[in-house]
Amino acid sequence: MTEFLIANMAPIMFVSLIIFLMFGYAVTFSLAACGLFFGFVGVELGVIQASFLQSLPLRMFGIMQNDTLLAIPFFTFMGLILERSGMAEDLLDTIGQLFGPIRGGLAYAVIFVGAMLAATTGVVAASVISMGLISLPIMLRYGYDRRIAGGVIAASGTLAQIIPPSLVLIVLADQLGKSVGDLYKGAFIPGFVLTGLYVGYIVLISFIRPQWVPALPLEARTIKESDGSSGLRSLSILTVISVAMSVAFAKWLPDTTPTDETIVVSMCVGVGFAFFAAIVNKATKMGLLSNMAERVTFVLIPPLALIFLVLGTIFLGIATPTEGGAMGAVGALVMALARNRIDMKLIRQAMDSTMKLSCFVLFILIGATVFSLAFQGVDGPIWVEHLLSGLPGGQMGFLIVVNILVFVLAFFLDFFELAFIIIPLIGPVAEKLGIDLVWFGVLLAVNMQTSFMHPPFGFALFYLRSVAPAEDYIDKVTKQPVKKITIEQIYWGAVPFVIIQIIMVALIIAFPGLVSSGQSKEPTVDAEAVLMQMRADTATDAAAEAAQTSDADQVDPVKALMESMKEDQGKKP
Amino acid sequence: MDFLLSLSKRIDQLSEWIGKWVAWLVLASVLVSAANAISRKAFNLSSNAFLEIQWYMFAAVFMLAAGYTLMRQEHVKIDVVSGRFSKRTQIWIDIAGICFFLFPFVIYIIKLAMPLVINAYVTQEMSSNAGGLIRWPVFAMLPLGMLFLGIQGISELIKRFAFLQGMIPDPSKKQGAKTPEEEFAEFLLQKEVAAREAAQIGAQK
Repeated sequence: MTEFLIANMAPIMFVSLIIFLMFGYAVTFSLAACGLFFGFVGVELGVIQASFLQSLPLRMFGIMQNDTLLAIPFFTFMGLILERSGMAEDLLDTIGQLFGPIRGGLAYAVIFVGAMLAATTGVVAASVISMGLISLPIMLRYGYDRRIAGGVIAASGTLAQIIPPSLVLIVLADQLGKSVGDLYKGAFIPGFVLTGLYVGYIVLISFIRPQWVPALPLEARTIKESDGSSGLRSLSILTVISVAMSVAFAKWLPDTTPTDETIVVSMCVGVGFAFFAAIVNKATKMGLLSNMAERVTFVLIPPLALIFLVLGTIFLGIATPTEGGAMGAVGALVMALARNRIDMKLIRQAMDSTMKLSCFVLFILIGATVFSLAFQGVDGPIWVEHLLSGLPGGQMGFLIVVNILVFVLAFFLDFFELAFIIIPLIGPVAEKLGIDLVWFGVLLAVNMQTSFMHPPFGFALFYLRSVAPAEDYIDKVTKQPVKKITIEQIYWGAVPFVIIQIIMVALIIAFPGLVSSGQSKEPTVDAEAVLMQMRADTATDAAAEAAQTSDADQVDPVKALMESMKEDQGKKP
Repeated sequence: MDFLLSLSKRIDQLSEWIGKWVAWLVLASVLVSAANAISRKAFNLSSNAFLEIQWYMFAAVFMLAAGYTLMRQEHVKIDVVSGRFSKRTQIWIDIAGICFFLFPFVIYIIKLAMPLVINAYVTQEMSSNAGGLIRWPVFAMLPLGMLFLGIQGISELIKRFAFLQGMIPDPSKKQGAKTPEEEFAEFLLQKEVAAREAAQIGAQK
């Protein structure tokens, strides 16, 4: 019996973890208790040395010193302040009016604004709630299909989890031992492809079921010229000029400029021009621009400015992700104060929520650390590795199994738990199989995004449910009765988007080039550009990483030992 | 039981008080980090003390607030299974969780961490970075946070037994009545949506 126990400690421990978690007490303490229990059993059976668990406090000090995780409270705080600043509402209003009169227009507006908000912050709740309260009633008023309306709002809200700066990517970067900046860069294109897939789905619907996504009648548009024209011509001219200026500027830049820098700087030039034109127009009352053009420009400036402040500085290597988060938070505060949308009570609330979220996330990490230390003690990682690397199909088999596993677990666990429990187990195996960890992280992030959309526990669905009309009501504008939204409609609305998510996972596996890797592998890029990119990268992270590695080495002798052991094993075969 | 309940109330007040003050460190660390980033870029002025104080503050936030977070029921649970049980069974699960999961963890970590903190204090260990800060205050956050967590655990335990005896309402409901999301939704409904609807009605007329 004892021998059987000793030989099979790792699988027994893993199964026990599931039982401990399903028991229904707080995840963090269940994890820790499972770790401690098996730690003691291991010591009793002589599998683990008694001194092994002594390094626990050292590991916890290591968590406290973690510079990367510091970005979590910063981005959370930023998101919470931003949701009160009224930016989302202004965007939805204006963009909704702009796209509304085309078929499926409101849905496009929701996706567009969702992506925009996602690029400014990493909080799902804010986007879903704003869109659920502002866009959903309008969609229902003009007869959108309820499933489409609910699904598109919930899904667009979850874009915040994949488009940088997202919390998921920060946590994944930390767990995979990669820099946050690399993961952000890697997730950039997949985030936009995913947004494109959402748009594609609505386009498809507007062709096969036009009555599900009707165009708004032109009377619904309130932003118009005094003579009643839409003012779209003026907007398109402004757009064309701005884009032309961006492109011209991009061409003018020396060829050696890294791609991301070119994009960021050129966009700034184009947007800056539009903003300048709008200001001049407003100040001089020349009437060169239509109301619509002016409104669109003004409403786009705050989010674009924030995107530049956060992502721009990170990509350009001016700020580390942590600093970018802090600057974004300050920017959001300034914006909210300037609009007079925030008071002491709201700041207090935002601090309180940020504190609770940070505490719960970091404690899951602490609990997971206890578990993983004991799991290492019983040689768990070796067991997992044998299990996963022995799969038929090598890399592909591993990827398929891991993705199915994460997809299924996402029904029960939210992504913090997934990231802290699962990633430390599968990350090393992935590395050993020769998988690029940045790519792997982005892949998992897309997969984990479904944990927000899975019925019945997905958070996005839950938030939408809380703001969607729960009873039949009379629409204020049309005076027509509108039926409530049922929970089934929300669930069914989410299903197509979960499928899109699976398609996206498949796309990333099929076309790994979608994730631009930090260490550009494409042979087409000339050496000079790569060098520049590397320089920019190292500048970004050098400080943070140097501090981290030296700290980590000091505090975490056990981890270092394990790693060197792993390396040795890697050399043997 | 009355004595225990008043003890539990005291503990809750303590955690509330800690939570209220520690929350300010969130804002402080945001401001310090942003100021540091700007001064580093603009004036080439930065010090390791500024970099370190950021994570000192963050460590204080999540360690010291652990008890407060426990009181607010914000340490997430997986209730796929337990959600199907009766309320009383769920409370018993909580009681078992506090006694067998929470307390051993808290006690064990304090026991392991204390010698390290004392050692850091005695040797006056400093950060290895030039101009860094003294280490023991941040190390002390670990046992201190665990202590607050354990104390709050006692209060939670008392409240659950009191509930089983029908003396107080359900303690496992999230306190503060409203989540931030609910409050945000309400805020939007009151101000934004109403104003927009009014504007639209006006435009239609």
